[in-house]
This record gives sequence, C-alpha cells and structure tokens, in this order.
Amino acid sequence: MEPTTLTMGTTPDVAAAAGNQSLHDEPVSATVDVRAGRSPSQVAWERVRQDKVAVVSFAIVALFILVAIFADLLVKLEGETLNVYHPELISPLNTFPTIGITPEHWFGVEPRTGRDLFAVWAFGARPSLIIGFTAATFSTVIGIIMGLAAGYLGGTVDKVITWIIDTLLSLPFLLMVLALVPVIQKRFTAPGQVLTAEETSGIRFWVLIGILVFFGWIGLARLIRGEVLSLREREFVQAAKVIGVPTRQILFREILPNLVGPIIVSASIAVPAYISAEAALSYLGAGLVEPTPSWGRTVSNAQNSYARYPLFLWPPVVSIALLVLALSLLGESIRDAFDPNTRR
Amino acid sequence: MLIYIGRRILMAISVVLVVLVATFLLFFAGPADPAQAMCGETRCTTQRLEDIRRSLGTDRPVAAQFSEYFKGLFVGRDIYVSGAPKKCEAPCLGFSFRTGIEVKDAIAVRFPNTAMLALMTMVIFLSVGVSTGVLAARRRGSALDRGIVGFSQVFGSIPSYITGLLFALYFTVLYPILPRYTNRGDGLPAWLGGLIAPAIILGLFYATGYVRYARASMVDTLSQDYVRTARSKGIGEQTVVYKHALRAALSPVVTILGLDMAGLLSGTLITEQIFGVDGIGRFAIESLRNDDLPIIMGTVLVGCVLVVIMNLVVDIAYSFIDPRVRLS
Repeated sequence: MEPTTLTMGTTPDVAAAAGNQSLHDEPVSATVDVRAGRSPSQVAWERVRQDKVAVVSFAIVALFILVAIFADLLVKLEGETLNVYHPELISPLNTFPTIGITPEHWFGVEPRTGRDLFAVWAFGARPSLIIGFTAATFSTVIGIIMGLAAGYLGGTVDKVITWIIDTLLSLPFLLMVLALVPVIQKRFTAPGQVLTAEETSGIRFWVLIGILVFFGWIGLARLIRGEVLSLREREFVQAAKVIGVPTRQILFREILPNLVGPIIVSASIAVPAYISAEAALSYLGAGLVEPTPSWGRTVSNAQNSYARYPLFLWPPVVSIALLVLALSLLGESIRDAFDPNTRR
Repeated sequence: MLIYIGRRILMAISVVLVVLVATFLLFFAGPADPAQAMCGETRCTTQRLEDIRRSLGTDRPVAAQFSEYFKGLFVGRDIYVSGAPKKCEAPCLGFSFRTGIEVKDAIAVRFPNTAMLALMTMVIFLSVGVSTGVLAARRRGSALDRGIVGFSQVFGSIPSYITGLLFALYFTVLYPILPRYTNRGDGLPAWLGGLIAPAIILGLFYATGYVRYARASMVDTLSQDYVRTARSKGIGEQTVVYKHALRAALSPVVTILGLDMAGLLSGTLITEQIFGVDGIGRFAIESLRNDDLPIIMGTVLVGCVLVVIMNLVVDIAYSFIDPRVRLS
C-alpha cells in the first residue's frame, strides 16, 4: 500500500529523473550526449559542465567554501580577531558604531559590542557549510538504507518504515524542530551541570545537525523505496537471486548502482535546504548560539538597527541568499542533467 | 472505495495518536522544567519550586499526567489553577502555565489571524501562480517563457525569510507604503490591511512553485490527443485552453495545494515573526521561550491534526479524480 505517494509536491520531478536511470538500459532518449563507452553518470556530469548557470553557481559556492576554509587567514589579513570587542568605536550616545567601512574593519563593527563584522561574517560561513554538507551526507546515507530495506525486504519492515515516514510527514516540521532543539539540548546536560558558553554552543551545533537529519531522510527513502520496488522484479536482479548472490551483494552491487542518479540529485537539493533551515532556526533563536557565529543570528540581531546601520544586515543577508540560490541552481542543473527527458 | 477511505482514516488516527504520545513524552517527560522557567532569574527556594510544580501538576508520574491529559482531550477535566479547580471542557488542552488562560481559547483567538493570512496568501499564489504558469506553457520556448521560468527559479530558491525581511524593512518600515499589522480589535479594515504585506511576499514565494507545476502540467496536457481533437473540431483557442485543458492540468496542483494550505494554517512561523502577525506560529515561538508546555503541546497537536486532515482530504479527493490510486 502506498497511500501518500501522490501527496508530496517535490518528488515527482525527482522521480521522473530517477525513472530513466538504469545502467542496464540503453539510454532511451536520443540526445546528442549518447556516445559509446560512457556511463550515464559521466554523460550527466558532462552536461553539468556545459551548463553556464551551473558553472557560475559552482564558482559562487566554491568562493564561499574558500572563505570558510581560510576564514582565519582572511581575518588575520584584515588585522582582526573573532570576538574581540572595540567599545572605543561605539558612540556612547546611541550605541551605534562611529565608523563605517574602514581599512581596519572591512564590514564595520557591530553596534553595542564593537565586534568586527568581517570576522563574524567570515567565520559564519563555516557552521553554515558544515551543517549543510554534514546533514546532507547523513540524511542521504540513512535515506538510502531505509529505502533499500523497505523496498527490497518488503513485508513488516516495509510497513514499519512507510508508517514512520507517514508519521514524520504529518508533523509541522519547523514547529517540531523549534520545540525539539532546547529539549534535546537539555538531554545532553546532566542535571545541575553548568556549561560554558562554548560547550552549550558545541552541543547545539550537533543537536541541530541531528534534528535536521532526523526529518531529512524521508524524501530520499520514499524515492529509493519506490525505485527498488520496481528494480527488484527486473531480470538482472532475479538472475542474481537465482544464482545465489547474497542479499547484501544484490542490494549494493546490483540495485544501488542503478540509483546513483536520484541519490546525487537528492543530495544536491538537500544541501541548500539544510543551510537555509539552519539560518532560519538561528534567526528564530532556536539555532546556533554564541559564541559560534551564525549568519541567521546576525540577521536577527541586525534587523532592528537596519535603518541606522544597514552595514550590519547586508553581508549575512546577501550571503545566505547567494549561497542558497547558487546551491539550488546547481542542484537543479544536476537534476536536469541526470534526466534524459530534459533538453535545454 | 469505502474500504480505502476507512483504511486511510484509520491510518490518520494512528498517526495523530502517536504524535500525541511522542510530543507528550518529549515535552512533559522531557527535561524542560517550567517551574524553573517561571522563577526566571530571581532564584526561587526549593520549597517554592516544589509548590509551583505541585500546582502545575508536573510533580506527578508521567503516566498519570498523560492519562489526565488524554482524558481531558475527550471528556474534559478539572485542573487546579492557582489553588482553585477550574473546569476545562473537552477537547481540553489545559491552561497556560504562565498566564492561566485556557490553551484552546488562546489558540482560537489567534487562529483567525493565521487563517486569514493563509487565505490571502492562497488567493495570491493561486491567481498569480496558475495564470503565469499557463501563460508560460502557451508561449512555451519563447523569451517570455524563459523569463518566467528563470525568475520563478531564482525567486523561489532564495529563502522566503530573506525576501520577507527585506520586503518588511523596505515597504512597512523605511518607506511605509503598506500598513503594519494591527490586532483585530483595531477594526476590520486595519487588520486586513496589515495582512497585505506578509500575504504578498509569502504568496509570491509560493507562487514560484505553482508557476512551475502549472506550466509543466499544462505543457503535458496541451500535447494530449483530446486537446488536438478539440482544436481540430474548430473550438476557439481560449475555450480549448481554459475549458478543456486547464481542468485536467490542475489536478496535480490540487494535491500540492492541500499540503501547502495545511502548512500555512499550522502557522507560518517566520513570516508571522517578521511581520509581527499575532498568529499560531508566533504564539508557539513565544511559548517556547517560556517553557509553557501546554501551549507548545497544543500548537503542535493542532498543527499535526490540520496536516493529517488535509492529507486525508487530498488522498480521498484524489481517489475520486484518479481511480488508479485506490488499487495500489
């Protein structure tokens, strides 16, 4: 029984991309990319490389990754350090900074505290990207395992997993996550134990990843389950079964290679979704806490002083928008490339 | 058909029950201590904490608390609020720990705000989304089509809280073209006017999805044989597109609409927060800060029930539209 297949808005096009992915088929559509001796994945990556939007998006993403990796170096180049306060740059009358962009402070300083905003921004790229990619990796692995188990084993396992998926889908996601973050955080704290700000912040970081993964594997699991249901009836799987190939090998050697397309597509769409979710949660106050820098939290702090000190708001806002946009466009380009039916 | 509907309803009920138990365990049996939260910065004595816990009922075993809560949902119960018993009619969601107001009433007061915002948003994204999607499908491959698809792709990829925040800052604060949110008490026109800004930005964000769904669905439908037949019979293009094709093209849109409405009705947390709309989502965020467990439970439960009901309605509606669904 598959009662809710039709209720998910985002899956049909991914499923369409998946439906035509098979290493054991001759490519169906007669696109120009069909050449001898290349796997469909190679053909797809070739298509991504030729897509101008994808190349520009990739360059933007790469830029942010470089900023994250070399945050220390960039901030040192500026001559600043993270979380050093400059009360002398703050006007005592209205708590706003007395400076704008200067050679010492490339993005100005934070109102009230006088913290260097370039450092906050550069180091803020790290948690965003780490959370995005880590959560996407874990949720992809869990999604694959759950999908394979449900689709191939069938029976009770399938019923249980499908039911879990349906239940998780019925939860108001953002509300649940908001409510869960503090609850789970307290679970990691012994009663009476007083944590330093660093420890709390560190726990929060991993709790956030855990919760995003907990709700994030569902989509891919459903997709994989559907694919496996049809793949397991195919001749090559039947043949492998008949000659006595062990189940694990059938799953990972015979079935999984056929699912490379939808898995890559789903993972590439997941990364921007998680980065966006982290920023949203931090904006609402349920995400990362001090001293871990977070663009979402900076946006939340900056919105009220926007009229007087717009410099506070622009770097994180532009960065979130640009990074999520570039990753999403890259994901869509990858999806199109893996879908033999689209011709651009 | 009846068996299918019956099975779906049973599924829906089981999901709601599990969510009920799970959220209860998470929040009430969880490590959150509302008594501590109520004391706040001014440290209470141990005795005072005990008293608060007893008055809230959080000192009793979890099982007892749950059976009380469960009973309250179906037959109502008496709850002690600051010493005196208070009658709480079914479906009882308890009283706010902080303000002592009944959760049901507190949610009922805010629900119209969320519902009206959802409704206005829906009007915008359906009218803008579907009409633009159909337009793009009819001019498929033209510059207009590419422009529409490209714009919806870009606008839909930027997180809605970023565009929402900038929209709020520019059009309601810096250049107050659009009015800011006021409560219903300030009169209906002011209230509706205040919802225009959040509805526009949320509506446009959702519309980007509908543009693409409607376009894809319409492109598919327009290439069907019956559309060609209708055209070859000499029926006008307008009639073919809007009478013959649109109806068929809209059925996948209906599915997504059901789910989106469920999401919107259970509170658009961020948009409500940005524009200061006193709805369910903002209420939930507020109660989270206060560890006000009955309200958190109440908002999550209401949200979950809404999603489940919408899912059910969509599935059943779909089984009427598409008979193949029933057989699987």
